[in-house]
Amino acid sequence: MKLLGLIVKSARRSKRRTALTVMSVAVAVFLFASLRAILDGFNAAAAASSSTRIITIRSTSLIFAMPSSHTQTIRSIPGVRDITWANWFGGIYKDPNNFFAQFAIDAESYLRLYPEIELSASEREAFFADRTGAIVGDGLAQRFGFKVGDRIVLQVGIPTYGSQDFTFTIRGIYRAGAAAVDNQSMFFHWKYADERSIEAGQIGWFVVEIANPDAAAQVSAAIDQKFSNTPYETKTDTEQQFASSFVSMFGNLNVLLGSIGLAIVLTTLFVAGNTMAMSVRERTTEIAVMRTLGFPARAIFLFIAGEGLLISIVGGLLGAGLAWAIVDGQNFGVSGGFVPPFGVTGRNVLIGVALSALIGVLAGAVPATMASRLKIVDALRRVA
Amino acid sequence: MALIELRDVTKAYRRDAIEIPVLERVTLSVSEGDFLGLMGPSGSGKSTLLNLLAGIDRPSSGSIVIGGTDISGLSEGALAGWRARHIGFIFQLYNLIPVLTAFENVELPLLLTSLSKKQRRDHVMTALDIVGLGDRTKHYPRQLSGGQEQRVAIARAIVTDPTLLLADEPTGDLDAKSAAEVLVLLRRLNSEFKKTIIMVTHDPHAAERATHVVHLEKGTLAESMEVT
Amino acid sequence: MGLVANYNLRSMIARKGTAAMTAMGIAMVVAVFVMTLAIAQGFQKTLVSSGSPDNAIVLRKGATAENVSAVARTQLPLIESLPQVARGDDGKPLASPELVVIIALPRFSNNQTANVPVRGVGPRAFQVRESLKFVEGRPLTPGTREINVGRLAVGRFQGLTLGSDVRFASQTWKVVGVFSGDDAAFESEVWGDVDLMIPAFQRNGYQSVTVKLTDASAFESFESVIADDPRLDLRPQREIAFYADQSRVMTTVIRVFGTFVTAILAIGAMFGAMNTMYAAVAYRKREIGTLRALGFTRRRIVAAFLAESIALALIGGVIGCLLALPVHGLSTGTTNMASFSEVAFKFRITPALLGGGLLFAALMGAAGGLLPAIGAARIPIARALREI
Repeated sequence: MKLLGLIVKSARRSKRRTALTVMSVAVAVFLFASLRAILDGFNAAAAASSSTRIITIRSTSLIFAMPSSHTQTIRSIPGVRDITWANWFGGIYKDPNNFFAQFAIDAESYLRLYPEIELSASEREAFFADRTGAIVGDGLAQRFGFKVGDRIVLQVGIPTYGSQDFTFTIRGIYRAGAAAVDNQSMFFHWKYADERSIEAGQIGWFVVEIANPDAAAQVSAAIDQKFSNTPYETKTDTEQQFASSFVSMFGNLNVLLGSIGLAIVLTTLFVAGNTMAMSVRERTTEIAVMRTLGFPARAIFLFIAGEGLLISIVGGLLGAGLAWAIVDGQNFGVSGGFVPPFGVTGRNVLIGVALSALIGVLAGAVPATMASRLKIVDALRRVA
Repeated sequence: MALIELRDVTKAYRRDAIEIPVLERVTLSVSEGDFLGLMGPSGSGKSTLLNLLAGIDRPSSGSIVIGGTDISGLSEGALAGWRARHIGFIFQLYNLIPVLTAFENVELPLLLTSLSKKQRRDHVMTALDIVGLGDRTKHYPRQLSGGQEQRVAIARAIVTDPTLLLADEPTGDLDAKSAAEVLVLLRRLNSEFKKTIIMVTHDPHAAERATHVVHLEKGTLAESMEVT
Repeated sequence: MGLVANYNLRSMIARKGTAAMTAMGIAMVVAVFVMTLAIAQGFQKTLVSSGSPDNAIVLRKGATAENVSAVARTQLPLIESLPQVARGDDGKPLASPELVVIIALPRFSNNQTANVPVRGVGPRAFQVRESLKFVEGRPLTPGTREINVGRLAVGRFQGLTLGSDVRFASQTWKVVGVFSGDDAAFESEVWGDVDLMIPAFQRNGYQSVTVKLTDASAFESFESVIADDPRLDLRPQREIAFYADQSRVMTTVIRVFGTFVTAILAIGAMFGAMNTMYAAVAYRKREIGTLRALGFTRRRIVAAFLAESIALALIGGVIGCLLALPVHGLSTGTTNMASFSEVAFKFRITPALLGGGLLFAALMGAAGGLLPAIGAARIPIARALREI
């Protein structure tokens, strides 16, 4: 530990330079951890998908509806244990900028298939009992200050639902038990939307619970086979595939955020490497003296490299810690609902700190090597 | 009236809570055309006195009047301008800018004036000719010997035709031959070009070239002596 | 400025290694800046170049996008007959009733499903949108299941090449032509006969009507005539304005994200520049003392070192711009949430964007160099001269 003490003292000598380098690494790790958190947020839903739920949509595309008669047909397919459905409502809450997801659902079956939607028993009963009732996620409630009992008016966005405004009463606020469901949405009764629709009995998508997760592909094929060559052909996929395709809608996020991550690392390498080189240059005489005193080249290498590593890790802890404390997707409320909620997890923090260590090692390698190779004679002759 | 009048000049430095006195009530007059040698053991405050005369440092108390101007009362910005016009400083370690050529080093003080490029060129060449380095204009300091560097520094010091030349141990870092050359040059600047020079030195041979010599001991002046 | 040019720049070059590392740090930040904003720029251009200055698009009042709009078949002749609508050589009005839906097709890049826009158009669609040209094949024949595909769509989504049979809406359609138009959003679309597509997609009317006006200035009167007509619960917009609006949210999100990320990264690079300048000042203490002894004022010293820092940063900025340039023209795509359809576009670097990058670099240099420059000028001269 004597080496560590020496390193710490040395770093404290040029406080300003050490501080600036620490902050530079901290900024980089902060950014890196935040970007990873965003990426994880996007992939969270897919990652948390249930292996026993499959989704059936119109094969033409997601925006087309299926008749409610499909329900019985699907139920009768072997391997299907339970079924529910939902429609995208797309209403406007006061201003188009107040966008949030609204789903018209078959309440009892939907809540049965999605145990991740956590609601108290009394709120659940109240919701089932009220035809124009709705439940909202706690994140959404926080955003607009909704409380149980509030009345919400939504203007129709999609012309199929007619032209009259829809009025709802909030009967419950749910928590999202897992990432498969987000807490920024509103659910209400499908019947209420259907009775006002220009064309009745139209369903947006089915969520089917299968008895055996390994049979997903088989059951999906069976469902689609049933409706092929009919006017309402279907395409059935696992919930995970469905969720993944939403992520890929935005573009190749992995490449984009990955490239930015790379740029972050390179920038920091340049900055940290520069600092280390400067610090070595300034201490040439000191290093030479240490050599004359008998310190072997390897000790010098560890000394310099150790300092670089220490500074970087301190910066990494600072940056990752800051990211963990500050970055919470809800705080940003960007494009209200398209960007999934994200927060910096313990894993992001660990990756961030590991990254800072890597930067410290890489940045310090060359200066440390050069310092250890310094010929004593040259060093003593050199005027700083 | 004397060109330079120091009256009761005192300078003390603060190191944490302790006050270290360097100059104690120095009173001195220098006339125009004098070549004054300032001698004394190390730590006697000679360089500090020179710095005060140059306006590089401020006295703790007392007044310094040069050419009729009380420089101890000037602001930092005004001092800079005054210094540019009136002072030529020659340092022991030459203090040439390593990335500038000999010509550009000598030109430096002229960048503070409003002279045109051609005018500046003429002044620089004149100065370099006087010090005997007219053929080394494009050399960088690292390509010159110690003696040559100091001569470039002297050229820089005289290029603005200053009121006063201040030299701090100008031969301290030079070999005997170069030192002699520099001292001859300084003598010439004084006798031929009538430059007022104050030179700090601990070398008695150097002091021989001066017209007057004063001794500083522990921050106070001993009796002055005149040397012919 | 002679001082700066000779002294500061040469001093900077004398310490090549440090200068290079600092410049590279700044270069990386500028590169990220230019590249991410090039995405926003490209996206915006693709959408806005879909619009023509003398075209107008008519939607239902209050509709924010085509897919939530509805125009009844009976309303079409009322619009077409208006005097502000230009007429073709055959005297027929240049108007195209349209309907846009999404079909699911896999992408080449990752085989996952994309929301491909399919636009049912009227027979005079290509006359209304003159900037679109055919690069392969020919325009579709109205009344048939022939379709035309935008060039970018052919490259992005599977199964759309010339001659392909594409199956959607339980029917088979044949690609008879590929069109292009300056990377407009239309190039990501599949076009077919609107009167065939309406029943195929189980819809019952148009969503919009796009018309070519007699002249761009005819828009105001076009707008007021429609507003005054009680049979038309519709609202026209200039096509360019409409598409600019459609691109607004996505463009803003991308720009905000890009700026935010680079701003934070810039702070890190700025600390690096600060470090370098502090070291430079420390290294050159005696020179600074000499300059001040010669009479250079504090202000000039600060200005000179600030200029040195900015110059170094600008070099980094130029390198960063050069590093970013290769992405210009690179194809990519995203889903425009306003229309829920996928749009292929290209990274687009403009001179203004490069200028912005350089300005950004200069700001980093100024911010990083300010404190060290002030510090340089504050050292008491006598003390500075004493440094070995």
